[in-house]
Amino acid sequence: MGADQRIDGYAAAILEVATAEDELARVGDELFRIARAFESSPELRDALTDPRLPTELKKGVIDDLLGSRTSALSVNLVNFVVGVGMSADLPAIADRLAERAAAKRNKVIAEVRTAVELDDETVDRLTSSLSQATGKDVEIKTVVDPSVVGGVVARVGDTVIDGSLSHRMQEIRETLTRR
Amino acid sequence: MIQFLAPLLVLAEEAVVEESGGIDLLLPETSELIAGFIAFSIIFLFVWKWVLPAADQALAARQEAITGKLTQAEDAKQEAESLLDDYKQQLARAKGEANEIVDDARQTADALRTDLVGKAEVEAESIRGRARDDAAAEKARAAGQIRDEVAALSLELAQKVVAGSVDESAQQTLVDRYIDDLGSLET
Repeated sequence: MGADQRIDGYAAAILEVATAEDELARVGDELFRIARAFESSPELRDALTDPRLPTELKKGVIDDLLGSRTSALSVNLVNFVVGVGMSADLPAIADRLAERAAAKRNKVIAEVRTAVELDDETVDRLTSSLSQATGKDVEIKTVVDPSVVGGVVARVGDTVIDGSLSHRMQEIRETLTRR
Repeated sequence: MIQFLAPLLVLAEEAVVEESGGIDLLLPETSELIAGFIAFSIIFLFVWKWVLPAADQALAARQEAITGKLTQAEDAKQEAESLLDDYKQQLARAKGEANEIVDDARQTADALRTDLVGKAEVEAESIRGRARDDAAAEKARAAGQIRDEVAALSLELAQKVVAGSVDESAQQTLVDRYIDDLGSLET
């Protein structure tokens, strides 16, 4: 079984569990945020993927970090993934879970990165605009990412629509260095 | 023969003693003449019979020997002259060949020198060209590096300034503009 199939299998299993517990939306959202935190925090990533650290210690870290802020089911599912040694694949599993959950509702996931938190009204407008721009019924997952500086970076599947200040600055940098 | 002639000599001496005086004192006795004639004849015969042929033979042999030696000398001289001519010709040929070899060597050396000088000039020009290219590339690289660093520093500074100046209102404006811009991407 390849890594991609394993990721898909774990995502499917978590989907079934969350659906059975009727917490799919919440679990999907929480796991997505945990995955982004995992990606943006090298310390957390190193702690959870270090093969020398015992699993119990890793679970303790997860409980300390997430226990009070996320549902018990989400914490258990993350502990499950870490316990089977798939810590490094946690973001991919979360993404696949979000995709499967969205697909179940005939939607696609749009990952939206902004420098600040978006209000609900802006998220709704963004959802509508992205749906029209991509021709798909999108479901937005927002991620606060200070490296965006300003504006929005949206990723729908393999399509990235980058309207961030960091992207514009990168373009200016490339223009300056190409001369 | 001496014994035979001895009485004749005694008779002759007696006749001289008896008839000594006048013209007879000057003329030899007849016996003396006869004896002298006989002695002369004997000696003449001896000489004519043995001495002259031996002398002729010796002279002929001597002449022949001299003639042979002269011929040998002539032959040797001709041979020597022939050898001398050969040597002269060989020497001339050797000189000619030596001159040709020297000329060839000189031409070869000239060609080699010309070739080497040409190659050295080409190589030197190539090295100079490479050095120029390297210098130009290094200059361009350094300029590019400086430009990149300046751009990076400028952008970093600009990013910090922008990040600090983008307040909540500006963030909302940027998001709104993004949403408006998405309209132009509608499929």
